[in-house]
Amino acid sequence: MPVRNMSEIVVLSGKGGTGKTSITSSLAVLAGNKAVIGDCDVDAANMYLLLEPDFGKTFEFYSGGLAVIDHDLCSRCGKCADVCRFNAISYINDQYRVNSLDCEGCAYCEKICPTHAIIMQERKSGCVYISETRIGSTMVHARLDIAAENSGKLVARVKNEARAIAARENKPYIIVDGSPGIGCPVISSLAGANYVILITEPSMSGLHDLRRIVTLIKKFRISAGCIVNKYDLNEEKTSEIKQFLQGEQMMHLADLPYDIHFTQMMIEGKTIVEFPSPLKYTLENIWEKVKKQLDIKDQ
Amino acid sequence: MRIAFTSAGTTWDSLIDPRFGRTEYIIVHDEGNQGLIVVDNSAVKNEAHGAGIVTARKIFELKPDVLITGNGPGENAANALRHIKMRIFTGAHNMTLRQAYTQYKSGKLKEI
Repeated sequence: MPVRNMSEIVVLSGKGGTGKTSITSSLAVLAGNKAVIGDCDVDAANMYLLLEPDFGKTFEFYSGGLAVIDHDLCSRCGKCADVCRFNAISYINDQYRVNSLDCEGCAYCEKICPTHAIIMQERKSGCVYISETRIGSTMVHARLDIAAENSGKLVARVKNEARAIAARENKPYIIVDGSPGIGCPVISSLAGANYVILITEPSMSGLHDLRRIVTLIKKFRISAGCIVNKYDLNEEKTSEIKQFLQGEQMMHLADLPYDIHFTQMMIEGKTIVEFPSPLKYTLENIWEKVKKQLDIKDQ
Repeated sequence: MRIAFTSAGTTWDSLIDPRFGRTEYIIVHDEGNQGLIVVDNSAVKNEAHGAGIVTARKIFELKPDVLITGNGPGENAANALRHIKMRIFTGAHNMTLRQAYTQYKSGKLKEI
């Protein structure tokens, strides 16, 4: 009994470099202004290269902590430098100093400092943007500062903004480009998802990471379908992947061949679906299949 | 029975928060006295990592018999929650608390 009719599609790969963002951008173009786009792959946010968002609204984003030493209170005992397992504190010119690039914000030094000279400060880790894209859709995305990392918190922020916009503007779809891996940012990107598209490639690590992400998705009971990208580079591995999908009763959405046009389009800042080619029709077919899966779920 | 919900708001008509770790509120309904306890979870939302475990600890302190949520806790939080006798029902995202409670009562939510 859903109270609002909005479907969130999350694209994941387990392994990086399988073509996830290229395919997500293509789906975003096919969905046009019916979808709100969320780029949660913030460690390597590159969707903006294909969708040309205008960086319309900017919000600073704070996450994690940074140790700050009050030199007047510091007794120079050196305990902080001893316990820091990131070697972020060094003794320079008669003072203990924190290297902000090395500090991971664990707060061990703050806990053990006998004179309470250390406090943890909230650290600005990047910016969140709400943009209009060149295809007329709204996109929520982020950019991290140097040495900052993606987090479940940042992913939750991007997704919550995207959901709010979709609800407000009555958009039927949210398309989310997720992070590689299976860790905190990925788990965060799965919250509230209605469908997951998995992108894999026929390689040893492609299949290995696919197994891990499938285990995770099953835990959350989210329905999913898989695309094997560059399937013709190793057809033996491709059939192994298909066997695995069958065993897991996971839908096999399509095989995409290796195609130099993918890269050529990317160099021009366009997606593969913007010019007529067999790949374009395959991707249109995938998008129709995904929509049909969402309709079945709604009934 | 004490029924806990992950919730985006503070009333029976609020939507279930699909997130476990970073849920806005934890709401506990006591079927005995019909009371509703609202726990603000916004501080946990600010954890960069490991929000699920911190929320699991809060739920541990609230001692509910049942938890109703969206997709369910992740691996680490689920391991922590195994240590209390609590049944977990998922798939309640896109429902209000009231709808989710009715669905649970009629046995339509999936237990993990």
